[in-house]
Amino acid sequence: MAERRSSFNIRAWLLAGLAVLALLLVLFGPMFLDRFTLNVLTRSMIYAMLAITVDLLWGFTGVLTFGQAAFFGIGAYAAAMILTHMGASPALIALAFALAIIVPMLVGLVVGWLSFSYKATPLYATVISLVLPIVTTQVVFSGGQWTGSSSGLVGYGTLPFGLVGFFRLAGICLLVLTVAAWFFVRSDAGKLLVAIRDNEARCAYLGLNPQRLKIALTTVLAGVAGLAGFLFANSSGVVAPEITGFVFGTELVIWTALGGRGTIIGPVMGTIGIDYLSANLSGELPFLWNLVIGTLFVAMIILLPNGLAALVAKFLPAKGGAGAMRLTNLAAAGAQLTAPKEEALLSVKDLGKTYGSLKVLEGLDFDIRPGELVSLVGPNGAGKTSLMRCLSDGTEISSGTVRISGQEINGRTPNEIVALGVGRKFQVASVFESLTVADCLRLSLAARHRPSLVTRESDLALPAAALDILRLTGIDRMLERPVADLSHGLKQSLELAMVVALEPRLILLDEPTAGLTKTERTTIGGILQKLTRELGIAAIVVEHDLDFVRTISSRVVVLHQGRLVLDGTVEVVANSELVKTIYSGGAHG
Amino acid sequence: MILLLDIVTTAAILFVVASGLLAIFGVLKIINFAHGAWLTLGGYCAVVTTALGLDPWTALPLAFVAGALLGAITEMVIVRPLYRRPLDAILATWGLGIIIGQLITLWFGRDVQFTPNLLSGTVDIFGASYSIYRLFTIAAALIIGCAFAFLLEGTRLGLSTRAVIMNETLARALGIDVARVRLITFMIGTGLTGLAGVLLTPLTSVDPNMGVGWLIGAFMLVMVAGSSFAALAFACLVFGGAQVLVSTFVSPILGGITVAVLCALVLRVSPKGFSRG
Repeated sequence: MAERRSSFNIRAWLLAGLAVLALLLVLFGPMFLDRFTLNVLTRSMIYAMLAITVDLLWGFTGVLTFGQAAFFGIGAYAAAMILTHMGASPALIALAFALAIIVPMLVGLVVGWLSFSYKATPLYATVISLVLPIVTTQVVFSGGQWTGSSSGLVGYGTLPFGLVGFFRLAGICLLVLTVAAWFFVRSDAGKLLVAIRDNEARCAYLGLNPQRLKIALTTVLAGVAGLAGFLFANSSGVVAPEITGFVFGTELVIWTALGGRGTIIGPVMGTIGIDYLSANLSGELPFLWNLVIGTLFVAMIILLPNGLAALVAKFLPAKGGAGAMRLTNLAAAGAQLTAPKEEALLSVKDLGKTYGSLKVLEGLDFDIRPGELVSLVGPNGAGKTSLMRCLSDGTEISSGTVRISGQEINGRTPNEIVALGVGRKFQVASVFESLTVADCLRLSLAARHRPSLVTRESDLALPAAALDILRLTGIDRMLERPVADLSHGLKQSLELAMVVALEPRLILLDEPTAGLTKTERTTIGGILQKLTRELGIAAIVVEHDLDFVRTISSRVVVLHQGRLVLDGTVEVVANSELVKTIYSGGAHG
Repeated sequence: MILLLDIVTTAAILFVVASGLLAIFGVLKIINFAHGAWLTLGGYCAVVTTALGLDPWTALPLAFVAGALLGAITEMVIVRPLYRRPLDAILATWGLGIIIGQLITLWFGRDVQFTPNLLSGTVDIFGASYSIYRLFTIAAALIIGCAFAFLLEGTRLGLSTRAVIMNETLARALGIDVARVRLITFMIGTGLTGLAGVLLTPLTSVDPNMGVGWLIGAFMLVMVAGSSFAALAFACLVFGGAQVLVSTFVSPILGGITVAVLCALVLRVSPKGFSRG
């Protein structure tokens, strides 16, 4: 651990050194740089701020966006229009500053709401991000003298800083944004972005609302882009329709990709480097330069998707953890203990599910009380997984009602149902492959304990039941390991621990023992019995292994061709002739 | 009456431009963001035939062959490694579009080129004169639509293609050479786009960026149409019609964004657009 810690420090020192160097360059650069270079670099640094916003959305959260150019343009135009049409007194400059941030944020809110609805595809957000700059550009064109139409606005009063002043201002803004973004992506809240990129469904089933998070991110980053637009409108003294456009949006993505998506330094370096070189070379070899950039970009996307930064990172010491992570016991909320045992926790009435004309579930009726461990059995295609889906995602229900603690869940999205106390473990372990074990576990708490935006906590307080699972499976000794390194069985156990850490009152498990060894199976069985008998949690387990069902269940429900054919104790079901016929393939129709 | 003709011919032009993109998206689930570059390529095929003193109509087969050959190289080198990363495929093909655009600029210069009209003059319909060429685009759209219908429904390749669209894994298991189907589809799609580029030349000027303006409209229409040519035809009629109406009665500038905005709204309400499957 000591060694990893020191390698982490080398990286941190390296970055801190880089930041100091950058600060010195920004402050003393004007002493030895010529006018042309200062001008170009001021612009490059403003563009680099935009690249950071593109990277946070695309590199970290996985939302490919071409729309940041539009927010930048809206901010720049908002400022330039105030300064042109109303004047440039200090009060009006302050107004321009405020509007340059607020207007893009409002647009960002609308765009976010449009882009991220439940069940919208990731491509749809990209589609919207293409439409936005096109619409913005057309609005600018049709704005007549208000926006200057195709010739843009020029000759308005600006902040009285001069060339050198704007260079320093842009540099300091970029530096502040870079450092802030760097801390943010390493914070506990920053892990949410990667979690959404890795596995949005799991986020929702941890009670988080990925749509709302993405809308918030889009809104905030629209504001940042607007701020960059304000700086641009002031430092360049001219705004033109091109800066709002789709082509500029694609350039931002290209710079981010070449620098290295998913890192903060990469896109900053990439943008400044390419924009600076472009300004110097494009005069002599205009078309050849773009050809080189285009070729590099294509090659990079195919061969080195993580950009130049990934190449550089190979030569740096390996990333270490932020020091040892300590597991502590979270005081139990105790809600599940006080629930009266007699009332139904889950109540299913006449539930049906259809895909077009195909009926997968029909007329299901059953209740489940706290402390019950119900096994759901039936041959392939009986509708077991469909039933689990209907119980955890109200939008999947076609007819009938499902109530949890008396509340109807029809039409509610998974994260709302998690809030009612339902945890779902998927058939194929659904975890976050690019995060560490500790990060995954912490995300299970994120819906109830707002994670820090700046720091990374070293204590991980989990409910006792989740700690038990970690100790029994030995995962408690692997907290800093990347999840991708875990074995299949350990991922299953980790997911179970994450679900249990939600402190659910009803836990849905889809084939929790599939592909596990005999020992792992026994461990999971023991955990499930403990959860239900001692903590009063209700559990529904889809299971094929009838021996396993016999040892753990308090009740068995048999599904066949979408209908409930038997519901009773283990003995009743085990001795039923009907079940034998179904499993031997006799009862069709 | 003129308005109606405008609507139908606009829809026909949109259909011609978008069909190549749809062929590729429908089968490969990949968006070819270099679509605009292939349109440009087609436009320059018309320039080349003119320079060589050939009949302007020879540009059509030339553009199809050139587009398809370039498409073959693209599929093998750029698209094939990215089937599992569809968002990256958008970016890589956009990069390719830049490369093609710059190569054309290096070769021909960035100036606007002019090509002779394939069909000139007007015809009198119901007392009003109307461009013969615009009417011809309706025929072109119908021919392309019917050719695709025949290709999909009437040939062995079409059968394999439909199998790949419906269930790629099963198609592979049944011994269909998925890689070959993809390659041929990509070639047909890009060849067709080159052809569309030639068909555009009488309507727009030819310059290295002529295709980019069409890209977004075609892309949005394809998103709405999914993988069905019938849905694409329908979408072209509805949104092309809306574009003509907005341009005529409100403002031509707003007309330019009608297709994109309406498509985005349709997709928000119904993520599958007009396709049913």
